[in-house]
Formats: sequence, structure tokens, C-alpha cells
Amino acid sequence: MTRVARVAVLVLLGPALTGGAVAAAQDSQFGIRGLGTPGRWESVRSRSTGGAFAPFDPLSPLTEAPLADVPQLTANAMESASYRDADVSGTTSALRATRFPLLNVAGRVNRRLVVGAGFTTYLDRTWDVTLRDSTLLRGALERYTDEVTSDGSIADLRLAAAGRLSRRIALGAGLHLLAGSTRETAERRFDDTTFHTVQQLAEVRYSGVGVSGSLLLGVAPGLSVIGWARADNRLRATVADTTSAETDLPRMAGGGMLFSPGPSVRFGGSVAWRGWARAGAGAFDTWSWSAGAEIGSGRMPFRFGARGGQLPFGPGPTAPTEFAVAVGSGRAFAQGRALLDVGVERLERRGGGLTERVWTALVGLTVRP
Amino acid sequence: MMVRRATLIGGVLLAAACVEQVSAPGHCPSFCPSGQIEIVDTVLRDVISRDSTFRGYVTALHSPFLLAADIPGFVDGRPIVRFNGFGQRFVVSTADTGAILGADSARLELTVARRDTGVHNLTLAFYRLPITIDSTTTFADLAGPFTDSLVKRVNLDTLLARPGRKDTITGDSAVVDTVNHVLALSLKFDTTAARYVGTDSGTVAYGVRVSADSRASIAISKTLPWQWYLRVDSAGTPVARKPAQLGYAFASFVSDPPPPPVDSTLAVGGVPSARSILRIAFPRFIRDSSQIIRGTLTLVPSAPAQGAPSDSFVVEAHTVFTDVGAKSPIILDVTRTDTAVIRVGTSDTVQIEVTNLLQFWASDTTRATTLVLRAKEEATSFSLIRFYPSVAPAFRPVLHITFVRRFPFGQP
Repeated sequence: MTRVARVAVLVLLGPALTGGAVAAAQDSQFGIRGLGTPGRWESVRSRSTGGAFAPFDPLSPLTEAPLADVPQLTANAMESASYRDADVSGTTSALRATRFPLLNVAGRVNRRLVVGAGFTTYLDRTWDVTLRDSTLLRGALERYTDEVTSDGSIADLRLAAAGRLSRRIALGAGLHLLAGSTRETAERRFDDTTFHTVQQLAEVRYSGVGVSGSLLLGVAPGLSVIGWARADNRLRATVADTTSAETDLPRMAGGGMLFSPGPSVRFGGSVAWRGWARAGAGAFDTWSWSAGAEIGSGRMPFRFGARGGQLPFGPGPTAPTEFAVAVGSGRAFAQGRALLDVGVERLERRGGGLTERVWTALVGLTVRP
Repeated sequence: MMVRRATLIGGVLLAAACVEQVSAPGHCPSFCPSGQIEIVDTVLRDVISRDSTFRGYVTALHSPFLLAADIPGFVDGRPIVRFNGFGQRFVVSTADTGAILGADSARLELTVARRDTGVHNLTLAFYRLPITIDSTTTFADLAGPFTDSLVKRVNLDTLLARPGRKDTITGDSAVVDTVNHVLALSLKFDTTAARYVGTDSGTVAYGVRVSADSRASIAISKTLPWQWYLRVDSAGTPVARKPAQLGYAFASFVSDPPPPPVDSTLAVGGVPSARSILRIAFPRFIRDSSQIIRGTLTLVPSAPAQGAPSDSFVVEAHTVFTDVGAKSPIILDVTRTDTAVIRVGTSDTVQIEVTNLLQFWASDTTRATTLVLRAKEEATSFSLIRFYPSVAPAFRPVLHITFVRRFPFGQP
């Protein structure tokens, strides 16, 4: 087995061997009523800087142009474990989840062209809602317990290519296939067992396509800016080969700036707009920003950052908001062929009477055979 | 070194994995799915049609019990039983047989499987019957013997009140089985009551009448060991012999009046047993795209259920393998059988939960949507109930269905 094949096997099978769900991101109660919770499209390194480095990170599937600087075959994957407290009207639910939201492989085809492929979470649709209520049936008040669940996500399978047009300009483009499925159940148990339990389930499949492009400019030594845009068409949901819903997906655009005053210090910032309001009632266009830094040597840097913005789905007339801070570090092994990145993020989301506070532990593995 | 580090990394990943708790109380509608479980409750009044009654599925001869009843105005039921004898000679030793001279006595083991303990002075009267009785024998055929051939009378209340539940004079005894709720009687027939007639091969036949202060009805188990105590001629000397117990050669019961003819009402129960068949036009929109969570068949009795108070019975609703009318083979599967208890003397509306059957039809649309109503244990009591048929608009059978529409999966 070649080195490349060994790397591919390690990166592809690593998350699966740990037994967790594949291609899912951090859940949110805000995503239950909408299409889901959008993924982050950030590697652990980028996420540890609040997402500020994501547009410049070749291993974060947000943009394509930075792929042009990938020197050799590189693969990375990440795992996140989130511990979430959802507080509504004084009732707090402690939730937790483990996800493997990212896997990327990129390699140089020739001197000018780099291609990459991988997946990340586009929308997470994993939740479980229980409800206690009653209804009037046959002249009597019948109490029941509802449980509606969804388990799965929609993955963004990206095939990207990038190349340097000159020393200062890199250009990239990507084709995105949105694919995924959720196993959804709806169950109602009556206290009066004369009424049989309602149990319905369905396998919902999702599909869609999108394209993206990005342009990376080296403005000055140590200073880079990037702009990116992406357009997805429609998300088609099918149940038993019948289309149950078609939802318009957003146009997106964003940009960022990376400043490196020295070899061991980097500062970054980014901003993004996503037109989620196309998705229908209860969806909002969102703005998000992030700022962060990486300080230290390549063997063990220190990263930190913050970000804020809005969530696309939520009750009420305005979009829910979120704010997060993150710190992290990394360590190179095996003469730099393996990189282990770790990070911790504290996130708070607010809107419609719900407050979510999330601790997320991040572990990422990058291999360069 | 590389292996150790890889192991370390793998351990970290494994430790962090496998944490999943996503269940949270719903705060609707803000933080619940847009789709809801939608329940529909409807009464289908005109889906039952082509209903009819058939009689004769289980006859008195095939009943597991011998039914004795004295319910004025409803039925007079009398068990009849015949025991074949040993013939005219009996084996007295390995090398010799002797003529049977007669019987000193006989003993009948009789188990009362069902009785009303609230009825007083429950009395069994035994009559000698012609040994020619068989399945064609009618109540009227035995009117004479049941009038003038009384051989023994046992008052069960008196017997049960005696010390040890034994009557030392008559030789009768009783055992109350409180576990199985049966009454086991051991009744002695003296030489007058148990006549061994060699020319009849020792065959004897008896009939039983039951009486009480109020409406009497009992069910006698068809396990009827008959023990002869014979006198046999052994080389000129009469010797006593106790041969092996005999089982009955014929056991059934006759009743009066005869079962009423089948009319337009839907009858269930009685002897011979009656069944009613109902055809249901199961709406496709419920069958094909809904989940049935409750179905109730409502039947209005045309008259109070008849019988003795202790003879309340269970009506079962079955579906059939195929609908070929009276001989439709029913599916005997407890998971696809629904029941209701019929209280004798009441005329309340009967409701049978038929959820299992409706779900079965929904799961297999090739099945005939035909219901068969029958007594759970057919021909084990004279109790009978009649319901209004579908041709009686005001009281016709109706189907009350509660179902859930398909959940809108996949919609945001």
C-alpha cells in the first residue's frame, strides 16, 4: 500500500472507527423548526481562531483559492463533542453530541493546479423533541406524550480546484453536491392504552447542488485578502421516492483579511453574508463576523478568536444571534507529517426566549504523508 | 514512537466519541417541528352492510360441556349420557370368565365446571333413559323418561354443607376446587339406580335435570368416569368385582324450546352456536395512508342478552381468510382477535374494540374486510344475544375509527 493510500485509509476510517455519526455538525434547537443547523465549514485550526482564518485555510472547505498553496498531498478530519444547555422559560435541558463534521483531502496535480475533495456538514438535522399534552378524543381528555425525532444531516460534498495565476493571485472554484438523509420518527403514546401508540417513521433523502468561487490576493508582504461567493440551488427532500419539499438555498458571499507581521504571528478577520431568507417563512438572511490570531511557532502555536452573527432559523420577527470565543493549539508529530489540533469553544445563542450555551471540544488530525 | 502517538490520538478520539443526548422537552410551536401528529376521529355509519347470521357451527354433541339449565321462559336444558357395559360375562381369573349377575352399585365422577354460587338449592336429578339415545334424540323424545324414571336426586347445597362434604347415607361426596373453580362430585348409584342388564350388554343411559330456587344453569365437564361394582358368578359362587372405569359412549344434551330460526337480527351465541358476519367497506383513504390507533365496533342489542346471570359470555370479532359466506374460515390468531363481554340481562350497547383487525386489514390490503362475531367458547352456554342489523337505520352497527394521518416528514 502506498503512502497516499495509507493516509486516505487512516483519515477516512478514523472517524468511522470511533463509532460516531458522520458528517454532522453542532446541533441547535433553533434548527428544529427550519431546515436545520448550518455547519461551520472550518477546520479545528480555523475554528480555534473563531473562524477568522477559515477563508485562508486550505483545509477549511469555506473557500477554494487557498488550496493553491497546498504543497503536497494533505488530508484532515475533525471531531467535535459539544455539551449544550438549552434554556427556555426557565427549563434547562442538558444535551450533548459527538460529530465528525469535516474530512478533506487535497493534493497537487501539477505545478499550477491543486485539487481537493471532501465533505463537511451543510445542515445538521439531528434532534429529539418530547412533548406532554392532551387532546379531546371521543368525549374524553386523553393525555399523551409525543416524541418527534430526526437523526441525520445534509453533507456538502465538495470537489474543488485552485491554482495560482501569479505570485499574488490565486483562484479557486468548487462544485458542491448536497446529499444526505435523516431518519425521522413521530411517536405518540397515550396514557390510555386503548388508543394504540402512533409510530411513524420515514427515511428522508436530500439532494441539491451548488457552485462556489474565490479569489485570493496578496496585497502586500504579509497581508492577504480574499473574497468568495457561493450559490446553491434548491434542496429537494424526498420520502419514498416522492418529493416532499423543495426549498431554495441561499446565495452567500464573504471576505477576509490575513495579516502576518512576522513568521510566528498571524491576525485574521472575516465577514460573511448568507441569504437564507430564500428558504421561506421563519428564515432570515444572516451576517457573521470573526476575528482571531495565531501566535507561536509552527510546532505548537496558540490560537484564539471570537465570532458573532446571526442564525438563519428561529421564531419571531428577528434572527437569533450568537457569539462565541475559542482557543486552541496544535502539535506536529513525525517530522511535521502529522498534525494534531485541539480547541475549545464557548458559544452562546439567543433568540425567541431560548438561550443556548455550548461548550465544544475540538480535535483535528492532519496528515501529510 | 509513531505507533504510540497514533494510539494516543485514537484513544482521545474514542474517549470523546459516543456521547449522544439530543432529547429535549418541546417548547411549541417556537422550537418544535412544523409538522404535527394529526389525529382524526370519525364515526362511519354506512360502511357495514351485507350482514347476516348463520347457526350450527358447534352443536350440543360437540360442545365441551353438558349444559343443564332451568331458565323459565328461555330454555330447559338436560344432559343425556350413555355408558356401554362389559357384556354378559366378565373375566374372573386368567383362565376363566363368569356371568355378570348384576351390580351392587356404581359411581359417577362428575365435574361441575360452571355454576352460579349465588343460586340456592341447586339440585341434580338423574333419570334412567333408553339406551338408544344418540345425536338424533330430541327433547320431546325423552319427555316420558324425564317424567317417570327418576333414579337419584342430589341437592348440592345440602351435600356441600355436610361434614367433609360427604353424605354417609347416600355415599355421595363433593370436592370444591378453589383453584380451578370447579366442583367435583362423586355420586353413588345404588343397585336400583344402576341396574346392570346383561341382555343390554350392561349399557345404561341417564339424563340430568337441574333445578334451583331461581334460574339454574350449570356446565358439566365431559369427563364422566363411570365405575361399576359388579357381582360375577365364579364357579357357582357370586364374587364382587371392580372393573376398570368406563368413559361415556355418548354424551350430549337436549333443550327446549329448540333454537329460534335465524331472522334478520345478528345473533351470536346459543346452542347450536350462531355467528354473525359483517362486511365492512373499509375506506381507502384510511386504509392506505393512515395509521389506525383505535377502532370500535358499536352494536345495539335488539333485546337483552338471554341466559342465566352466571352465563355472561365473551363475543369475539375475527376476520377471515376469505369470505365465502357462512363457511368463511376465520383467522384464529389472538393478535388479530378483539373481544367484548356480554352481560346477560342487559341491553346496553356493545362496543368491541376492533383495532387489531383494522390494523391487520390496513397492513394487508388483499384481505377480505369481513368480520365474524362469535362466542369465544361456542356452545358452552345457552346465552344468546341479538343485535340490530344494518337494515335498521337507527340502530345499525357503526364503526368508530380514530386514525392518524401521515406525518409530514421532510418538510421544514
